[in-house]
Amino acid sequence: MMSKEEILNKNLKHYRLSQIEYHKICELLKREPRPIEWPLFSALWSEHCSYKSSRLHLKKFGQTLDETVLNAVGENAGVVDLGRGERIVFKMESHNHPSFIEPFQGAATGVGGILRDIFTMGARPIALANYLCFGELQSNRMKELIQGVVSGISSYGNCVGVPTVTGQTEFSSSYNQNILVNAMAVGLLREGEPVALSQAQGVGNDVVYIGAKTGKDGVHGAAMASASFDESSGQKNKPNVQIGDPYFEKLLIESCLEVIQKNLVVAIQDMGAAGLTSSSFEMSSKGQLGLDLHLDLVPVRDSSLTPEDILLSESQERMLLICEPAKFLEIENIFSKWGLDAVRIGKVRKEKTLRLFWHQEILTELDPDLLVENAPLYDRPFEKWTSPRKVKELSLVQNIQITEWVKNYLGSLVGGSRKPIYRQYDQRVGLRTCRDAGFDVAVLRLPDSGRGLMIATGCRPSIMKIDARLGALDAVFYPALQMAVKGGKAMAITDCLNFASPEKIEIMSEFVASVEAITQASLALKAPVISGNVSFYNETQGQGITSTPATGVVGLCESLENLPMDTFQNADESIFSLRFQTVTTSGKWGELRQENPQYMGEFKIDEAAAFIDEVRKLAKTKNVTSSQTVGQGGLAVALAKMSLQGMGCVIEEKLSPDRLVREYFYEVLFVVKDANEFLKAVPEKMKVHYLGSTCPGVFKLPGEEEISTKELNQIYQNAFQEVFHVP
Amino acid sequence: MKKVGVIRFPGTNCDRDVFDWVSGHNQKPEFLWHLDQFHSTDYEMIVLPGGFSYGDYLRSGALAARSPVMKSVREFAELGRPVLGICNGFQILCEAELLPGALVKNEHQKFIDEWAGLQIENPHSHFGARYESGNRLRLPIAHGDGRFYAPAKELKKIEDQGLVWLRYQNNPNGSLNNIAGVMNQQKNVVGLMPHPERASHFWMGGIDGKDFL
Repeated sequence: MMSKEEILNKNLKHYRLSQIEYHKICELLKREPRPIEWPLFSALWSEHCSYKSSRLHLKKFGQTLDETVLNAVGENAGVVDLGRGERIVFKMESHNHPSFIEPFQGAATGVGGILRDIFTMGARPIALANYLCFGELQSNRMKELIQGVVSGISSYGNCVGVPTVTGQTEFSSSYNQNILVNAMAVGLLREGEPVALSQAQGVGNDVVYIGAKTGKDGVHGAAMASASFDESSGQKNKPNVQIGDPYFEKLLIESCLEVIQKNLVVAIQDMGAAGLTSSSFEMSSKGQLGLDLHLDLVPVRDSSLTPEDILLSESQERMLLICEPAKFLEIENIFSKWGLDAVRIGKVRKEKTLRLFWHQEILTELDPDLLVENAPLYDRPFEKWTSPRKVKELSLVQNIQITEWVKNYLGSLVGGSRKPIYRQYDQRVGLRTCRDAGFDVAVLRLPDSGRGLMIATGCRPSIMKIDARLGALDAVFYPALQMAVKGGKAMAITDCLNFASPEKIEIMSEFVASVEAITQASLALKAPVISGNVSFYNETQGQGITSTPATGVVGLCESLENLPMDTFQNADESIFSLRFQTVTTSGKWGELRQENPQYMGEFKIDEAAAFIDEVRKLAKTKNVTSSQTVGQGGLAVALAKMSLQGMGCVIEEKLSPDRLVREYFYEVLFVVKDANEFLKAVPEKMKVHYLGSTCPGVFKLPGEEEISTKELNQIYQNAFQEVFHVP
Repeated sequence: MKKVGVIRFPGTNCDRDVFDWVSGHNQKPEFLWHLDQFHSTDYEMIVLPGGFSYGDYLRSGALAARSPVMKSVREFAELGRPVLGICNGFQILCEAELLPGALVKNEHQKFIDEWAGLQIENPHSHFGARYESGNRLRLPIAHGDGRFYAPAKELKKIEDQGLVWLRYQNNPNGSLNNIAGVMNQQKNVVGLMPHPERASHFWMGGIDGKDFL
């Protein structure tokens, strides 16, 4: 016989709750938790659902919200009003843990989950993006992980009919044992289309279960995603990974949008992490009304499912909906047309408690706020950010063959073409894609106003390694600059904060510094943070990832006319560099040579925002044919990348090796038809340099051998040959 | 205004795109659900858009080919009236044996989305009528099962009877004889893997698909 203490310890371990949390539960309930209540607390008090280590700091994002953001509080995401009746909703979410265990299903269900977050609000999903971080190719299972993740995203996104228009793929040894798979979805609400909310309303209304049947998959998934991996995690956790069906999701999108647009729905919420538990408790808590739920009425795949399984299952493609009883029949008919179940499983009640029934018997009656509002909140120890790797002077780069460096860089996984990845994604379904994933910034045409919606992801792990604050500022500023160089303005931001254990002071310090930096950047750019997600415990056997606060930035350009291209277009055009140099980093150049990650200078937030404004104005002049930000790999790599389509360049200006490979925050390149006209347009205070001119077929740096653009492109296109064979 | 029936199966995902494309040609599109039946005189043209009908379970297009609406499509086709299948629509028409050949998994086993160079082999009177034999054009492709296949004897028949509509300039999927689109013997039913509706405005990157209707 186990002693009482042994049973308690066993429960605590199984449900991943701490002693302190257990005492808090007893205090709130004024008694011991019943068996059915353990899993409820386990799920809703998990890091994944409760944000217990991050909530305190995430509040800072609140100050970035302005009058363009509607329905900001309590929903999956704020709705951004773009004017002219067009509104957008978007969010990014991590699926790191499941993707490492089972890459195909993990990545696929990551896409499915983020889509449901968007259409549950009544917005039609119009674009997907993804942010992926992988380890070194020779590390254990890495090739299989890359292939699995990419085909998972491809199989789900393509079938569901939402184009994957952009993304970012990073490689670093810090992800050898914990890959990152962050998926982003963007939804559009056209004029007159209602926003659907999730708060329970109307005593006596029906609670309706929609979509796929419930199975055992994903039970305890939320708790699993809130822990680090140990040696045996891979096999042991496989049953925690959900299985997705994009065909079902497609039917769910169409049917849910139909009932929402016909105003048949009082409230609707997707069943994401912790499934029915989180959706029902959150709807109830937000509406401050109770629910009666009859768990035995939930459609199940097999009759052996226990109430606990039903509450915690993370089976995919399911929604919970509240409607007036008189409207149920019409709702049922619509779902039935799409071949989906709509089953009444409960009622909204006046008294603010959730009563869970199993064949008429009450299993428990709980105030939802005990689990939602009263979830633990931790002020984990952290230190004020002091930029430990900031130096007075960086060492000078000297005596190197720059063209060789460019070739090596473009031929590596780090710098090579991502086409073998994105060509597996449908980038055009929906007829809105103007610039696909082959471009730095995706551009979609908004159907009513004809304006361009821009999408880019951000966060460069190499810069995070140099400095967390700098890297997090850059995670917002760099995508905003990428938009500006094409004439667009960043409108709003989502983030997906991937970190190791928050219980380590150095990780928590980087987390807090990152949140503060994103807030500051967002305020300076007047682009509010409308949604987000935190993924902690990305570590295996104590070894954590580089802190990676990924961002998704959505912007707007007023017109699709004269969008500058990424590559050189015509011969004999002038190439100019515009530089706003406040920070210089050791960059990719330093990282690939195992130099200490370092930087010098001070990032001036307001000046960076002003620079971005000026760049945007210049990009809109008709004189500009192509433009680029100078990113990882520095100026030489940027020029080479512009030369990949056959039109090359001859650089006349004598540039030091240091100038060609170090990375400056920030620098952009403009290629113009008329040099004098361009110089007249550049404001006096901006540093502008003429570099050279475009020239067909060759890439030539001063004092170096020329190389053909064809060879350069071949090297670039073949970089992924070892992972994906390109025919 | 020409009435065009646009067929929707559960899982079709280019239905709204094709609807807009048809509207843009001053024709009147109307959705037809997979369970619907219609009279051949109700419409002047039928289009089967791309997507993943019935989730592409079993084989791409296999379940859709046996759905109620396809009975009406067959009657419509047998009267010599024009039917166009795009991507999954092409797969469905092959599965329904309204077009010769089959579409199997891409040779490299992966889904592929890119702009493809094409050549008109045998121009068609109903669709893409402005193009002449030998004309080159660019259209986006997006498919996992796009490899055109037919046994040697049937392939020879397809070639001999001039049923090849379009060929790839650079074969992206291992299609036999670089075939990207075919027609039936009566030349009223056609199918192609590329998406003409995705190349109907300059902002999409090309307009070669604009005149396919």
